[in-house]
Amino acid sequence: MPLAAPAPQGAPVINLQDVCKVYDSGDNAVHALRGVTLEVGAGEAMAIIGPSGSGKSTLMHIVGCLDVPSSGEYYLAGTPVSRMSAKELARIRNQKIGFIFQAYNLLPRASILRNVELPMMYAGVPWAERQDRAREALRKVGLAERARHLPSQLSGGQRQRVAIARALVNRPSILLADEPTGNLDTQTGREILELFDDLGAHGHTVILVTHDMNVAAHAKRVIRLVDGLVANGAHPEPAAAGGPAA
Amino acid sequence: MTLRESVVDALVDVRVNKGRTILQTLGVILGVASLVAVQGLSDAGRRQALKFFSELGGLRKILVLNKPIKERVQTARQLASDGLTWGDVQAIKRDVPYATHVDPIATQDLMVRSPSYLKERTIHGATPDYQAVYKFFPARGRFLIDDDMASMARVCVLGDSAARLYFGNEDPLGKTVFIGDVGFRVVGVMRRKEFFFNEGDQNALEWMNRLTIVPITAMYARFTGDPKKRVNYINVMVDKVDNNRKATLEIKKVLFRRHGGVEDFEVYNREERLRQQQSQGQVFDITFLVTGIVSLIVGGIVIMNIMLASLRDRIREVGIRKALGARGFDVAVQFLVESILVTSIGGLAGLPLGMAFAGAITVLIGQPAVITPQMALVSVVASVATGLFFGLYPAVKAARLSPVEALRYE
Repeated sequence: MPLAAPAPQGAPVINLQDVCKVYDSGDNAVHALRGVTLEVGAGEAMAIIGPSGSGKSTLMHIVGCLDVPSSGEYYLAGTPVSRMSAKELARIRNQKIGFIFQAYNLLPRASILRNVELPMMYAGVPWAERQDRAREALRKVGLAERARHLPSQLSGGQRQRVAIARALVNRPSILLADEPTGNLDTQTGREILELFDDLGAHGHTVILVTHDMNVAAHAKRVIRLVDGLVANGAHPEPAAAGGPAA
Repeated sequence: MTLRESVVDALVDVRVNKGRTILQTLGVILGVASLVAVQGLSDAGRRQALKFFSELGGLRKILVLNKPIKERVQTARQLASDGLTWGDVQAIKRDVPYATHVDPIATQDLMVRSPSYLKERTIHGATPDYQAVYKFFPARGRFLIDDDMASMARVCVLGDSAARLYFGNEDPLGKTVFIGDVGFRVVGVMRRKEFFFNEGDQNALEWMNRLTIVPITAMYARFTGDPKKRVNYINVMVDKVDNNRKATLEIKKVLFRRHGGVEDFEVYNREERLRQQQSQGQVFDITFLVTGIVSLIVGGIVIMNIMLASLRDRIREVGIRKALGARGFDVAVQFLVESILVTSIGGLAGLPLGMAFAGAITVLIGQPAVITPQMALVSVVASVATGLFFGLYPAVKAARLSPVEALRYE
């Protein structure tokens, strides 16, 4: 009995229907998301803004298949995610999604080349091809000659670029970035964001989680989360007009 | 992720945390060393025992002994049974298919007189099969032959020491020795038998060098005059070690029948005795075995604790790996590979240490040191098993971490 009809042509790649997430920490349940309905089309660049505790990260975790909704449904490219096994979710994270974190989240003991290889290792890409693709990905972010270095030997901006190379190396369709410039100075942050602008042009679906309106301005569409609900889905004021600071 | 990748990651981790690895491996090193030493020592013991038995005719030998009946009031049947006799020997020869040699022995203490000797000694009456059964052959002259049996000949064969005792440095061949006042011609002097369990021990086979052997028929005719021709014990040699058990059963059946259902005999199988002896002489082995296993358990618990402690440092790593597509299985394999790698390093270090243990102990007890391929096998199996067993809990724990919580962990 097929519950979900095949995705119609031009359907959104991300489709959340009344998604709730409740964290049950003892007696007091925490409602992180209270019914989010959201559609994101293929190739769209979107920013999610909102204060701390508004549910931004939870939403990103669910979209990234790191977590599953407590109720509601999440269709990823038309496929309902809630009925997937942990193994299938891992496969989706590996193949379809690239993560970029505020804290870079590189493996500290592995060379940056190996860090970039990791997603391909879990995808079962053979060694030689992996090496080539990892070097190519590092070259694209301008770090080819640093391949043997450890993350601790790089600056913050360089680390974030390694993380971007790693997120893209398996050619995912969706890129999720959680405060990607949060730990960087303004200049470096701008460079990283320019990289994102490039990516949007390359057809990736990009979702940017931030509390910084200047960062959000890089996305065509901005939604604001407040207390686990979408407050507005409006497009932001143009950044040039000096949009509201977060 | 392939196993090879996990090994690479584990190697990196082990190299980065040298101090931690040394702590983790210590228990495994000692445990494996103990087990390797046990292997070597018990193997040395087994070889020694086998060598001794093969000097005495190998494992194909079955010994049949008289068993005195203990009950004070005996049944008529028990009283009617004569114990082991010449007739039993013939019956075994005839009815036990696997028996190749059957040699009965009757002993009698008699005065022995020669030009330079006069003393009571135990004289052995035997048959030509004695040679095969004890792997005991003449150095000069000959052993008893069938003609000697038939004619109840007054001939005797002397062990090397006995010949020296009776005749000093003179050649005993052809000379006469008086046994119970009957003159016996010396027809053969046996080759010396020697076996030393440990260096500096006495010759465990010296009793054979001191033997004076006469035809068992002459023994009956000249000395005992026993109409029932009783014997003290019977050695039966079978064709193959594999047939020991079957032959033992057959012998019991034949004797049971001939003794009217009275079990006044015992049948010992060499192979079984060797096994029994080994299980008795294993105090050493057991001590080391227990030490080894306890060390491995302690080492394993240390490994488990350190893995669990290091898991706290690595929760974030697990989260990252899961975000990048690692399945729980991948994470578990990675942790298991790491614990097995650590214990394997312990096993590698424990192997030479165990050989040194075994070497030191064999020097102490004066046995030749033994290094066997099984030692390497023991070390590999013990260390891998320890890593697998004690790595399992941390590995499963790591695999079950939720990606979100793992990523959030500070």
